[in-house]
Amino acid sequence: MKEILCLLVILINSCERYVIAEHEEDTSTDLFVIEGKVFPWDNAASTGWQLMTHVMANGGEHYGFLREDGTFIISNVPSGSYMVEVVNPNYVYEPVRVEINSKGKFRARKVNLIQTSQVIQVPYPLKMRPLAPFRYFQIREQWRLTDFLFNPMVLMMVLPLILIMILPKIMNDPETRKEMEQLNNLTIYNMPEMSEVITSFLSGGEKQKSKAVKAAKKRQ
Amino acid sequence: MAPCAWSFRGNINRFLDIPILQCLIVLIGLFNLSLCLYEDQVGKFDWRQNYVGKIKFASFDTVSTAKKIIVATEENVIAALNLKSGQILWRRVLEKGYGGHIRTLGGVTDGDLISVSGGVPAIVRAWDLATGHILNEWPIAEPNSDRIKDVKWHIKDGTLHHILPIYNSGVEVTSYDSKTGEKLKTRRVSAPFISRETECVLAAPYLACLKGDSSLAVVLLIHLFDTNAQSQSVTINTIFGAGAQGPYKLESVLGEGPVISINADNDQRKRILVIGEFPTPIQRDIAGDATLYVVSVDNEKILLETTYKNGKIEITATNLLSSAVIPDLSVTLTHASIQSPTIMASVCPRQTKGITCRHLLSSQDHSIALLQHNKLVWTREEALASIVAVEIMELPMSDRDQAIETEFDQKERDVLSMFLRRITSQINQARAFFQTILDLVPQQSNQRIDLVQDKFGLHKMIVAVTSAGKLYGIETRKGEIIWQFKLPNIRGFTKLSNTMILYVQRGSRHFPHPPQCALLAEDKETGEGVIYTFNPITGQSLDGLVKLGYKIKQSMLLHVATDDFLRGILILDVRDKVHVYPDSATAVAASLGKNIYLFTADQTTGILSGFSLSYSTTQELIAHKVWELLLSPRNQRITQVVAKNPIERVHSQGRVLSDRSVLYKYINPNLVAIVTEGIGHAHKNTLNLYLLDVVSGAMIFSITHKRVRGPIHIVHSENWLVYSYFNEKGRRTEIATLELYEGKIQSNTTVFSSLATTKLPIVERQAFIFPASIEYMQETITEKGITSKHIIVALANGGILELPWMMVDPRRPINPEMREEGVIPYMPEIPVHMDAIINYNQSVSRVMGIYTSPSGLESTCLVFVHGLDLFYTRVAPSKTFDVLKEDFDYYLIVIVLAALLISSYVTKKLASQKAQKQAWK
Repeated sequence: MKEILCLLVILINSCERYVIAEHEEDTSTDLFVIEGKVFPWDNAASTGWQLMTHVMANGGEHYGFLREDGTFIISNVPSGSYMVEVVNPNYVYEPVRVEINSKGKFRARKVNLIQTSQVIQVPYPLKMRPLAPFRYFQIREQWRLTDFLFNPMVLMMVLPLILIMILPKIMNDPETRKEMEQLNNLTIYNMPEMSEVITSFLSGGEKQKSKAVKAAKKRQ
Repeated sequence: MAPCAWSFRGNINRFLDIPILQCLIVLIGLFNLSLCLYEDQVGKFDWRQNYVGKIKFASFDTVSTAKKIIVATEENVIAALNLKSGQILWRRVLEKGYGGHIRTLGGVTDGDLISVSGGVPAIVRAWDLATGHILNEWPIAEPNSDRIKDVKWHIKDGTLHHILPIYNSGVEVTSYDSKTGEKLKTRRVSAPFISRETECVLAAPYLACLKGDSSLAVVLLIHLFDTNAQSQSVTINTIFGAGAQGPYKLESVLGEGPVISINADNDQRKRILVIGEFPTPIQRDIAGDATLYVVSVDNEKILLETTYKNGKIEITATNLLSSAVIPDLSVTLTHASIQSPTIMASVCPRQTKGITCRHLLSSQDHSIALLQHNKLVWTREEALASIVAVEIMELPMSDRDQAIETEFDQKERDVLSMFLRRITSQINQARAFFQTILDLVPQQSNQRIDLVQDKFGLHKMIVAVTSAGKLYGIETRKGEIIWQFKLPNIRGFTKLSNTMILYVQRGSRHFPHPPQCALLAEDKETGEGVIYTFNPITGQSLDGLVKLGYKIKQSMLLHVATDDFLRGILILDVRDKVHVYPDSATAVAASLGKNIYLFTADQTTGILSGFSLSYSTTQELIAHKVWELLLSPRNQRITQVVAKNPIERVHSQGRVLSDRSVLYKYINPNLVAIVTEGIGHAHKNTLNLYLLDVVSGAMIFSITHKRVRGPIHIVHSENWLVYSYFNEKGRRTEIATLELYEGKIQSNTTVFSSLATTKLPIVERQAFIFPASIEYMQETITEKGITSKHIIVALANGGILELPWMMVDPRRPINPEMREEGVIPYMPEIPVHMDAIINYNQSVSRVMGIYTSPSGLESTCLVFVHGLDLFYTRVAPSKTFDVLKEDFDYYLIVIVLAALLISSYVTKKLASQKAQKQAWK
């Protein structure tokens, strides 16, 4: 384990040195060629996939085009670090970072944008395999029974039905009735029945008023 | 009764919980971030058009089984076009700019396709003619890197010849195998007369050079592949006879056979010289503006002269040597979309019916056309590959709506006349209705029936101005070109980006006044400003091309219209004098003088200055400089000046924090972002961003990024800025955002004033990693600004991403415990969701700009992407909350309502029966 760690450290160091070297020797005119091969998606053996695909280094600074067998080269690249991406509208390919030092030594590694110093090497010449087809579209919702049942409108319909059908049966059950009564006894004093209050208010209110008026008259 | 009622309530509560939960889920669903397209919506409201650009090299592929045309263009594209329809069979887009500049294309007649492109060293690519795959590519070694411009290329029989004239010595010809790149041989042909001043053209296998400028000028011919051959010389006098005047111009004639043309008398006269073992000058004058092409018919060389006069194209075919006119092959043609064409390629095969010639024409307005015998088979509007200015216009009202509008638009309000008008218009409507029912005379209309405003304002007209000076009106439903117009002799203000400015002076809502757009550009010859006003719906010119007679420095659209709803244009010329166009708007401008401020930014001097018009009198507008700022050009260069979209509205004035207090946005309409890139050794790879109030000249905020480089893309809207750059240290693209707040108290709740506000805003900022390269960014815009903002990002891989602004919100908390409503915790990397790619697999190449426009619906924003390809779609950043969804279940709602209705009746019946039964008990 320690050895591996050491190795990693060395790699990181060397990587940093590469970067420094790149900055110092900006004027070096040696040009290199990045090579690799792009593999098609297995199930889509359609012709013309090479035409739809191209390879892009550093977001379009350099292009590489595919031969019929999928191999490509990106020529005229000075030493430095390049993000090599395969551009295909239908399949996802993982980008690879290719580093070329001023002596023309190549190294390819996985792209890690967050921890830029982390190095996971990948073989060079590059082998680009598709990860998955792109999923650009949302799948339209299918009609499903559960969806239908949990639809608020259906629930609105079912709920009264349940109330009508099941409640009387619960009420008929003697035990629950007892429970209810108990509950009712407990709360009856705290909570006067709303409907009663309203009815008494609407019907009895007038009488009381008239009585009150009468009482007032009597006093006079 | 009481216990029953109580329990009832309890049960209701218990049951109600579920629907409430459901509702909650539905609500959450509404606000989730997915903004996808369904597969069946493909092509429903989006379209894409592919272009190739202005043709540079072309040739007919007559070798392959499927006949086609191979073109290479100024946009660094190599493509194959269908001979019959002009559609693109395959297209390869090379590197952008200088790196992909196509230097030569050849070998098509031999069955292969070789292209040489790029800078130093150039890349030679061999393509498969039929499929467009690459066969091989190799870099060509360049000994003299600074002389790449003088290199001439010749491709013949699978060999690529690299021809470089060496001053005072000779011509170096290096031959390579075009497929493998193997160097075959190098030879040097002696030609000591070549100097820096000699003008040489390649007329393979000869190199023709012009020496001297007076009547003693000599055309020298060198055979490139025969080292023993002596150079031949032909004097100008033997070509033109005596009396020709310089300066002379040498040109190689396209087509087959070594032929050159010489212009004399200030391009008034032209003669040709047929090169061979014995060069033969043709003693016949050709019009100076004619373009030439040599085609072989039955082993005989035919010269095609193309002239263009008053809209008429004339192609005259003559026998090259005898100068006898061949009327069968000559063509006269008038067509609106072709102007000053040049034959780029031509073939004349002998068929059973006789000889039919096919000419590929490339016009001055970048359009290309195929002419078969004397019939135009197809045209392609390649000018659309280089759009420089766009506006999206509303379509006018339909005739019926216009009639209603005229009915209520009367000034006098007399009861009787209004009643009469009502009656007449109703009679008219009734008559029109019966006419349509009975299929009688179709309504005579001055506009196309479908080009009218729709209910939701989704159908609009795109007005596009191209770098060729051609204007287009494109409707948005299918992308059909409705009108086109070529403006002669105009160019953009800056050489690099070719900017022209398009203003909408009057929209489509002011019937009976026609909508009006104005284009501001520069005259090609004088560099002075020109203005062209036109109706954006029909393309008709309104005032024609007006030459202003002064150079334009800055311009703006007045925010107040004249009585006929026309908004004037204020122009500041280079001598700081203010002009108003049209003149009728001067009074309006003068009355607004006190509140008008202008600012200018000079890229070369780095000076930004602000002008006020408050010293104006009613007769004259005077621009008075009120502030000046220097961004020293020695250490930085202004690359972008970005203001907010003037039609933008901000609906929400603040942001509610978790403690229920409001953080007010700093919404300064005069705020402009200025981006500069550092130059020189010390400041290399730095990026400076300044936020400047251009009315007061106050610097609001500035920030410097070190070790970053361009390309920088910036979006400025509401109270925030989003910009992207390449971080050299992390070697990744990053997006940074700034957000400005006034604080917890709003200084002025009604109007913002740059002069009254002195408090600097609070700036929130954050940077994010973006895992793709960006080509362009633009924000969405809607009518009232209620809908949340998204950023439309064009990616280098051809995708167009809709990125919610919420993802780049600088207030995304790093500490996940400090959560605010509607704010996602900070994550360094912004994920690129594939379902947010609004153009799905319809990749677009080399995006130059994105134009967004509000539609009639608050939820929907129209997006037009232009570059090499055009793409149009609409997006709904907060989902379509104001219209029913496309997949709204009408049946379900009908069924449910019906079921409820029936069940209520049934239960009513049942209840009455039950009551009856109980009564009997």
